[in-house]
Amino acid sequence: MVRTLFYNSVFFLFTFPAFAAAKKDLSFWEMIAPPEDISENGHLITWLFNYVTGANVFFMTLVILGIVVFSYLYSAKRHKKAYYTYGDKKAHILFVAACCLAVFLGVDMNITRISNEDYTKVFNKPPDPTKEDVVRIEVLAQQWMWKFRYPGEDNVFNTADDVVTLNDLRVPINKKVYFQITSKDVIHAFYIPNIKRKIDALPGKITWMWTKFMKAGNWEIACAEMCGTHHYKMQAFLTTYTQDDFDKWYKNAQKYAELENNPEDPTVFWGWKWY
Amino acid sequence: MASFEQHIHDKPTTFISKYIFSFDHKVIGKQYLWYGIFFLLVGGLMALLIRWTLAFPGHAMPIVGHLLFPATNGVVPPDSYAMLFTMHGTIMIFFAITPILIGAFGNFCIPLMIGARDMVFPSLNMMSFWVAVVSGLLLLAGLITPLGAAAGGWTSYPTLSTLLGSPGVGQTLWTMSIFVLGISSLMGAVNYITTIIVLRAPGMGYFDMPLTIWGVWMTSILNAIFIPVLGAGCLLLIFDRVFGTTFFLAGATATQGGGDPLLFQHVFWIFGHPEVYILILPGWGIVSDLLSFFARKPAFGAKATAMCMVSITVLSTVVYGHHMFTTQMSPLLTQTFMTLTMTISIPSAIFFVNWLGTLWKGSIRFTSPMLFSIGVIFVFGLGGLTGLYLATVTTDLYLHDTYFVVGHFHYTMAASVLLAGFAGIYFWMPKMFGVLMNEFWGKVHFWLSFLGLNGVFMGMMLAGYGGMHRRLYDPFVYEFLQKLIPVNTFITYSSLLMGGAQVIFVINFIYSIVKNKKVEDNPWEVGTLEWTIPSPAPHYNFKEIPVVKCGPHELGNPALKDRDFQYQTEELVRG
Ligand SMILES: [Cu+2]
Ligand SMILES: [Cu+2]
Repeated sequence: MVRTLFYNSVFFLFTFPAFAAAKKDLSFWEMIAPPEDISENGHLITWLFNYVTGANVFFMTLVILGIVVFSYLYSAKRHKKAYYTYGDKKAHILFVAACCLAVFLGVDMNITRISNEDYTKVFNKPPDPTKEDVVRIEVLAQQWMWKFRYPGEDNVFNTADDVVTLNDLRVPINKKVYFQITSKDVIHAFYIPNIKRKIDALPGKITWMWTKFMKAGNWEIACAEMCGTHHYKMQAFLTTYTQDDFDKWYKNAQKYAELENNPEDPTVFWGWKWY
Repeated sequence: MASFEQHIHDKPTTFISKYIFSFDHKVIGKQYLWYGIFFLLVGGLMALLIRWTLAFPGHAMPIVGHLLFPATNGVVPPDSYAMLFTMHGTIMIFFAITPILIGAFGNFCIPLMIGARDMVFPSLNMMSFWVAVVSGLLLLAGLITPLGAAAGGWTSYPTLSTLLGSPGVGQTLWTMSIFVLGISSLMGAVNYITTIIVLRAPGMGYFDMPLTIWGVWMTSILNAIFIPVLGAGCLLLIFDRVFGTTFFLAGATATQGGGDPLLFQHVFWIFGHPEVYILILPGWGIVSDLLSFFARKPAFGAKATAMCMVSITVLSTVVYGHHMFTTQMSPLLTQTFMTLTMTISIPSAIFFVNWLGTLWKGSIRFTSPMLFSIGVIFVFGLGGLTGLYLATVTTDLYLHDTYFVVGHFHYTMAASVLLAGFAGIYFWMPKMFGVLMNEFWGKVHFWLSFLGLNGVFMGMMLAGYGGMHRRLYDPFVYEFLQKLIPVNTFITYSSLLMGGAQVIFVINFIYSIVKNKKVEDNPWEVGTLEWTIPSPAPHYNFKEIPVVKCGPHELGNPALKDRDFQYQTEELVRG
């Protein structure tokens, strides 16, 4: 016991610097940069984030300046006699009120207005599959995997020709993708870092999300809501294709689906009619 | 203003009546302090284990790891990891911060600062503490059950926290423990509110109360209203787990039932958002007072500060929906909760202007309580401002459930509250134990803690901005998070620094008590009522019930001759 303890500690001391040195080639800013935004509208979130950051840097600078400058100027050594005031003079009250108004009207209400506009007019405005060409996908979350269901040739969900994948989401770019999401057991959250969005997967309820991918490549999908011991392993892979590549894959997957889906097996039909 | 006679009781003589089942609010306050510090150390150790796992996945933490997890050669296994972060959150919020800020300071300060001989209901007070002990035992009992303690996160969302996701008895014990703790908090709250209303010394109007008392008062009101809500939620969860009801189970494949898991989230956050303010309000009060005491001038806009506490108390009850944006509530509700949440920045802005206004043209004495108080302005500034991103629905879609949230709420609930708590401990040490803590080591404790906690919580926000989500045993199974390994290593080093700094505190704290070097009655030269009596306070507090003639922050009055402050029992000197 004592010996393993000792050896482990020694081993640790030597591996320590190795961890610290890992990925040294990235600059600080590259390191903390968010995942690349590959969605049509993710820039709205980025923009608002930066706007809030600008406001926050401004106010935090004021607070820090206040602390540092006052601490320097008015330390007991430098400033023997304090100024006796309750801060209830007219000028004081006006100053406080002006600060509040600047924060509330200048920043808060601006953010609220912009965010609400983005939310109601873009993110929370579902596409209409009857009027435009969208890719519809049903997502089922369960401990600890993601299942994706495409409607197949008949374009109707929960039929035997549906294409179903496990932890493997493939979508075309430059086209709206519309997800309906639910969970089989506990609460999960469907998180696509590269579009800066997530939405809960709730048992007994269907949530939805839409996006338009703009760049082809391989990406990751995660579960963002604690869902048990292996929450951290609830990972899926996202492949964004050009339309041609997607059609090729989909046609092929369709063939396999028709061969493999056994209509007699009720577990095949975990999907639902599209809402 | 006392509505009845307060008798002087005989000094308790036996050990049990003096230190164990004591009716004395000062002893109960100290009991809460020890209780809170004990759990603070347990929760802190858990935090270090969590941090270790994140920075060095698959490597044993020296010594502690080997002692706790011999089966896996010292490495924290994934299920224990979930228990660790669940218990860390629960312990820190309910068993460390609550007892220290509310239990210890509430109990100790209220009667002393309002000029009363004790709480209005001393036996309720004693019961409140011992019920809290029962609750703590229930929580710790979870650790020795076969499937271990609760592991569904401190929020314990169903259906994960029902039998479906957590079959072990640990989760039931967790729920019971929180329910029992709620009873304890409720008893405390009722006592505090009543004491503040009926036992203020003659002449003490509400605005003559120190802001600390305002903070504790508002906290108690929120506790009295919202703890029962959490209690109800816990009770329903216990029903689901033990009696087979389906309040929180919905009708999907694996979760038969006609209930709704979201119901729990509503109930939890109706309590949970006010809880943030329950924890921070006493801290705000303490800081507002201490800034004035050590800047040697009256608190700037003290009435406005008090009224802001009131308005935040009210507002905090109607904003909880911002925790549930990703459940896709109606856009109308989203907008409402976003707007309401933003209005909290108005009273918050007033706090900051008033705090800085108190420093402005003061004659600042940089004692250790003062350093901690100024530290609170900084960390609460960061914590409050970063809340903007999360109140904003679209940025929350990205940041929700990432480490950004973790960093944000640690700044507000951990950093601010801890620093305020330390400020209080350093400041009232003479009144509690009749001693002063070592100033030099107090300052070292401050600077190391301050550096450490900013490293930890700033690092967390950066990791969250980089996309790292919460509660991951090994975040680096994701390729897009691998570049964040150095950030996580940095956070862990900072947390070790922060943890190490607390060793200095514990040694300083124990050493000063053991050494027992007596201080004068009013070492900080402050005029509130607790400093008009000897240090440490005698068991009856005030020989004569004091009569209050001026406010709590009468410092720096130029009309004063031989000292720069006056006691609340003295007529206001006019020039
Ligand atoms: Cu999960
Ligand atoms: Cu909240």
